[in-house]
Amino acid sequence: MAVLVLVEHGEDELSRQAIAFASGLGEVEALAIDGDASGWPVERAHVAEGMDSYAPGAWARALEEVIDRVAPTAVVAAGTNRGNEVLAYVAARRDLPFAANCVSLLAQDSAGGASANGGESLTVTRVRWGGSLLEEARIHSSLPLLSVAPHAVPAAEGAGSPEVETFTPELDESDLLVQVAEHVDEVSTGISLAEAKVVVSGGRGVGSADGFGIIEELAAQLDAAVGCSRVVTSAGWRPHTDQVGQTGTKVSPDLYIACGISGATQHIAGCKGAKKILAINSDAEAPILASADYAVIGDLTEIVPAITAELRKARAP
Amino acid sequence: MVALSISGVLFARRARLLVGLVRMGKPTDRSGDLPQRARNEAEIVLGQRKLLQRLVPGLIHAAIFWGFLVLLPTIVIAMIGAVDRDSTLPWLGHQGWFAFLVDFFAVLVLLGVIGALAIRKVQRPARFEGSHLGEADLILAMIAGIVTTLLLWHASRIALGLNEWPAGWSPVSNALSGSFGDGGVTKVLERAFVWAHVLIILSFLAYLPHSKHLHIATAAVNVFFTRTRARGRLEPLRFDGPEEEMRFGAGTVADLTWKQTLDTFSCTECGRCQDVCPAWATGKELSPKLLIMALRDQVFEDGPPLLRGADGFEAQPLVPGAVTDNVVWDCVTCGACVRECPVSIEHVDHIIDLRRHLVMMESRFPAEAEPMLRDVERAGNPWGKPQTERADWAERLGVRVLEPGDPAPEVLYWVGCAASFDERARTAAESTAKLLKAAGVDFAILGPRESCTGDPARRMGNEYLFQAHAEQNVSTLNESGVTKIVASCPHCFNTLGNEYPDFGGSYEVVHHSELLADLVAEGRLSPNGSNKEITYHDSCYLARHNDVLEGPRSIVSAVGQPIEMERSGKRTFCCGAGGAHMWMEERAGLINEERAREAASTGAETLAVACPFCTVMLDDGVKANGSEMRVADVSTLLAESLDDSGA
Repeated sequence: MAVLVLVEHGEDELSRQAIAFASGLGEVEALAIDGDASGWPVERAHVAEGMDSYAPGAWARALEEVIDRVAPTAVVAAGTNRGNEVLAYVAARRDLPFAANCVSLLAQDSAGGASANGGESLTVTRVRWGGSLLEEARIHSSLPLLSVAPHAVPAAEGAGSPEVETFTPELDESDLLVQVAEHVDEVSTGISLAEAKVVVSGGRGVGSADGFGIIEELAAQLDAAVGCSRVVTSAGWRPHTDQVGQTGTKVSPDLYIACGISGATQHIAGCKGAKKILAINSDAEAPILASADYAVIGDLTEIVPAITAELRKARAP
Repeated sequence: MVALSISGVLFARRARLLVGLVRMGKPTDRSGDLPQRARNEAEIVLGQRKLLQRLVPGLIHAAIFWGFLVLLPTIVIAMIGAVDRDSTLPWLGHQGWFAFLVDFFAVLVLLGVIGALAIRKVQRPARFEGSHLGEADLILAMIAGIVTTLLLWHASRIALGLNEWPAGWSPVSNALSGSFGDGGVTKVLERAFVWAHVLIILSFLAYLPHSKHLHIATAAVNVFFTRTRARGRLEPLRFDGPEEEMRFGAGTVADLTWKQTLDTFSCTECGRCQDVCPAWATGKELSPKLLIMALRDQVFEDGPPLLRGADGFEAQPLVPGAVTDNVVWDCVTCGACVRECPVSIEHVDHIIDLRRHLVMMESRFPAEAEPMLRDVERAGNPWGKPQTERADWAERLGVRVLEPGDPAPEVLYWVGCAASFDERARTAAESTAKLLKAAGVDFAILGPRESCTGDPARRMGNEYLFQAHAEQNVSTLNESGVTKIVASCPHCFNTLGNEYPDFGGSYEVVHHSELLADLVAEGRLSPNGSNKEITYHDSCYLARHNDVLEGPRSIVSAVGQPIEMERSGKRTFCCGAGGAHMWMEERAGLINEERAREAASTGAETLAVACPFCTVMLDDGVKANGSEMRVADVSTLLAESLDDSGA
């Protein structure tokens, strides 16, 4: 029996993971939207044509057409925004159960035999609550819809030579109500705060807008982004785009250097994703120390330039 | 007769439109509580209580208002007199005492008008910024015209010996009569005065419903229908209606409730709300007065075609049609405007309904608040901290965590997210727990089973998220058999006490400052006084929304020397965190710094607070101002005072 996988061009890695996941359920057929599907490592590829821009309703319609033709035992997609959205459409239209962000397949029972619809069940493990919870879910349906959490299973390797069938799905206006109108590239200047490997951040202890000079110098030595706390943006020393915190950017660098930041809850909420936190603070009682892995207690106007100087020295040829 | 009918027709046509617009409004239940409503009429309308919050303008208004009540019968008397010089109202027209009252109040009204003009022309207070000033001048001129012509008419009648009342009873008219002869000129003048009087009144009547002075007709009604239950409570939305009726909040004029429409008709642009608004005071776009005026303009623009059911007419969105997004998000829901308003306009309800529409129908709100909403939904607290860490502070103090099936404590201590997770706010929870233990109170906390009450989500307009939390918390509390709750956060306190009854949760809810004050009064805690000067900052959700004033003050008095700020008690000034602003950025001056400056100006060394958000906001404000002032919760001050005794 066939398992149908929705593959996405441009998300090849995640789609191949979905294919690998699906291969545990049966012979894999793929639905691709436009483009060349001849390389996907599947038995058969259905290519829906005439779909210009991403429209979840239209993709779902194409998927439904293939479901009706192939009568698969399960439908799988990568747990991307699009994969989850398209499966949610199909689930709603066909009144089918949808388990999003699966990480593994636990069991496939077809007990009951006589009543094909009532007896079949599939048990999967899936991540919930932003990764803080693993849920074991048993799905009772003749056609479970599953999406695969990114990087939960290894991708299916190699190139296949599937039999390719093209078709043009029948769409009506309602399928195109939601569609991508425009792509806007993210404007990025320098090292983005959200993605930086190292962030050097300053708080009230820095003292003034000019005080950030030494923070910037240290950041330059470390190829780091400069961040700051809310009091700094409130005081107008730095733009709001530099703010790390609950109402600013949430960062997850390898190293977060908090200079003169007391560590209000609002700030910790933005930097708790850092692998290591180094706090430089004159107050040994500052709350930031509860979250920090390393701390230097002292005057940041002496300590920060000293670190910069050491780094320069170490890097000097 | 002709004049009367023209004026009557103009008035009636306008009145029909206005009534139609109000009746078009969405339902809101304002029935019941008749004794309270009658009391409001007596105090706020007849007694002018809210106007008299500002003594001089209040007295001026009261003079004009009371004057007009007394002078109402003279309209009929003048109309009779205009038609037939020798007739008057039976009985009343002959009464000396009434003539005296007319004289007395006519002069009072005139003095009132002069006072009002002095305020408007000489003093020019900032609260009138954005009001229709010309309209006000015209109205004052008309009022002056009405009473002047009345006095002159009476004077001329006395001069002609036509007075039906003993002339001695009306000293002013009698004195004026000396300047008239008893000849033909006076006869003509007598006719001229009475006709001028009647015509000004009729023009006033016709003009009234077309102007901001409409409040004469609407204010008393608006006051009558004002909210009588807890001021801090928001009206819940229902999510179980038919799908086609699923519109949440106020997107267009068609979504306003009838009370909201009536609110807009009642505003007389006095600007008292604007004067006390923390957003306006710190240079934000929001002025509660300008908000209500903008909504009124929109009601007059879109209301009539909606009322007619004009084909294909689509009312324009209130945001940005009437007000900008910033106006909607600048509000801290402190309720200062509502409290100040002499005609009982409920500004905060307007703001919340605008937010509800933006958040739930359009998903449009300040981006920086999104993590808070997500964290409340996902983690049960606004900072996304693990729920398992909620009771960490309590473990160190050996506080009982109520497990499912445990017997309910006498008092459940509802800690709240801020005091559970925030370093600075937690001190208050630790102090409160220590004090409750010291006083031998049987209490426990819910620990990880406590979640955000949903207040920040609700004040942001995300009613759906709020209700999910309300239902969950109510079921936890009910299953645990909780009957009495002490809350440390005024926002939790307000939500638990005023809003959870709508979701099946009825408990006796007190704020920790009240409970601790009671324990001191009962002698179960014995604080040591000191000479330390302490100024206490009232939280909006304690003082203004819930009348909690005495508890925290008695603690402050017990441990130090209280010293009041200029804006205190029910007229307190927000710390800047309310209405979910704890999780939003301020786009102009900072409210917390403004308030911290006011606190510092008292010269007190300690700024006492009773709210975790006020703690954080004012501590930041004090530091930003470079002040040395210490910000501490009343519970912490009380606990320290006990420690001092070595107890």
